[in-house]
Amino acid sequence: MNIERVDEKVEIRNLSTGFRRKKGGPRILHQGLNLVLNRGEVVCILGPNGAGKSTLLRTMLGFEKALGGKILFSDQPLDELSVKELSRKVSVVLTDKIDDFYLTVFEVALTGRYPYGSFSGKPTREDISLVTDTFQKVGVLQLAGQVFYKLSDGEKQKVMIARAIVQDTPFIFLDEPVAYVDPPGKIAIMHLLKDLSVELNKGILVATHDLESALNYSDELWLLGTDRKWRKGKAAELVESGLINEFFDREAISFNKKNHRFEWKEMRKRENPALKGGETDG
Amino acid sequence: MRPNVNTAFWYLIFSALLLILFLSNLWYGSVLIPWHKVMSVLSGNVNEAETARVIVLEYRLPQAVTSLATGIALGVAGLLLQTLFRNPLAGPSVLGISSGASLGVALVVLLGAGVGYDVLSSGNPFSEVGLVAAALLGALVVLMIILFVSNRVGNVVTVLIIGIMIGYAVSAVVGMLQFFSRAEELHAYVLWGLGSFSKTNWQQSVFLLLTALLGILLTLFLLKPMNGLLLGDHYARSIGINVRNVKSFMILIAGLLIAVSTAFTGPIAFVGLAVPHLAKGFFRTSNHRILIPAVILMGGSLTLFCNLVAKLPGYDTSLPINAVTSMIGAPVVVYVIVKRGRMKKA
Repeated sequence: MNIERVDEKVEIRNLSTGFRRKKGGPRILHQGLNLVLNRGEVVCILGPNGAGKSTLLRTMLGFEKALGGKILFSDQPLDELSVKELSRKVSVVLTDKIDDFYLTVFEVALTGRYPYGSFSGKPTREDISLVTDTFQKVGVLQLAGQVFYKLSDGEKQKVMIARAIVQDTPFIFLDEPVAYVDPPGKIAIMHLLKDLSVELNKGILVATHDLESALNYSDELWLLGTDRKWRKGKAAELVESGLINEFFDREAISFNKKNHRFEWKEMRKRENPALKGGETDG
Repeated sequence: MRPNVNTAFWYLIFSALLLILFLSNLWYGSVLIPWHKVMSVLSGNVNEAETARVIVLEYRLPQAVTSLATGIALGVAGLLLQTLFRNPLAGPSVLGISSGASLGVALVVLLGAGVGYDVLSSGNPFSEVGLVAAALLGALVVLMIILFVSNRVGNVVTVLIIGIMIGYAVSAVVGMLQFFSRAEELHAYVLWGLGSFSKTNWQQSVFLLLTALLGILLTLFLLKPMNGLLLGDHYARSIGINVRNVKSFMILIAGLLIAVSTAFTGPIAFVGLAVPHLAKGFFRTSNHRILIPAVILMGGSLTLFCNLVAKLPGYDTSLPINAVTSMIGAPVVVYVIVKRGRMKKA
């Protein structure tokens, strides 16, 4: 492994995620997680619904308490960072709805400058030109004056990504950024994230159940399954070893390594008996 | 974004409107006093007729100041609540916070009489402190309950219904207290409960205005975090806002403003709910930096206007102020609900 500068990674050590319950012990989703997010790479947290992708992401942001273990930003433990300090290390794109009647796209993006702004929060000329430039780059400049809640889901995600960019943090965490976005929009967004990791050297963490985006755009996958199992690795390796199939295990559905798609086993057998057995069992 | 020049221009217009309404309140009433005499009295001319001086300075001026201060206090409090709960239907009266303050007042007035603690008769400065403290306590308790509930259910309408239920529960408790209290205190409490801008003396109206100004001053510290809260708690936190501290601070300010104004004027319906919507709708923004001045000017103007309307019949007694504010406020609630419905469909 290369020797990294200390301020360029988020490290998870022996982390347990899950929920504390009022009755009985905590409900553990995963334990013993040891993972690293470096700057300049896109990492996708991939898994079926309910596997705990968002929970891991939210735990890494301090929204949920870890059941055990440590999260380190630049060797500083997450729970020793103030909210203010954390806001200069990681920016977020969440699934939370912004449904204010009057907030404009530009105003939403300007909040990305809050960690640096004055006490009054009045945007400086630099803030405004930074947001304008970023809108240009992301391709949402024409939306700037519109009311945010009226945008399409794809447009909203792009604006929220622009907002994360102007927050100027080494890391960006995104929760299901392409969930309600149409296929061309998905590609555009994942492309944009990839560009950000390369050009601006950002570490990008994406929780998603969209297998296609994850396989095509991630430098590393963190696979989370139900039953507390987890794996990490390069997309190609995980596909080749058949692990993907194991994590998305459903009866009668399997993952086709060749075309990166899930298929209905019965149908494939019927249509193409030559495929019976063999690769689907990985 | 609306250019600043435009906003400043409208501030000026609304300031002028506020001034005109304030002076109209001094001029208009059951007794006719010409403009020049009102001005003469205001400029401190002691040679004016004693009756004119008494009417303008002892009655109309405190009443106008009380109207103004209540409009400002409730308007700012309503804006704080709407941002706090991210709920466009939040307001002092609809969430039962005024009811909480009422319960505090009822306990002091109706039970206090039993132990020889006579509050609503003026002249006893200690009793006013007790009244405000009781109202504040009641308002804060209800605010805490509503905040707790809204964190759990999050649904705008559910929270509203719970607020209304709290209002009913408080009425029930007050009803029981009334059963056990003497006619005198009961009468005083019922009168207070109708709401009025005309029962305050000089000191009270000034105290009310100072409280409103204090509330505004404290709110100025929160402009940035409140704008951040418009994105929701998680986003607010991610941009470095200490959400819990900011919210606690907002609760305290809103509670103080509602409690003090309610203690002196009785519960005033719909002003706190309607004013922020009028400001947001007019300036088409949710930016608190623009809204706070707008809410102050429009809130003050609205209550001064309502007070004028209440005096319209021209008799010694005026219309109940709540009847007037409800006439204006209730349509605003309907408008917001309809607009929200349309927004969700779009």
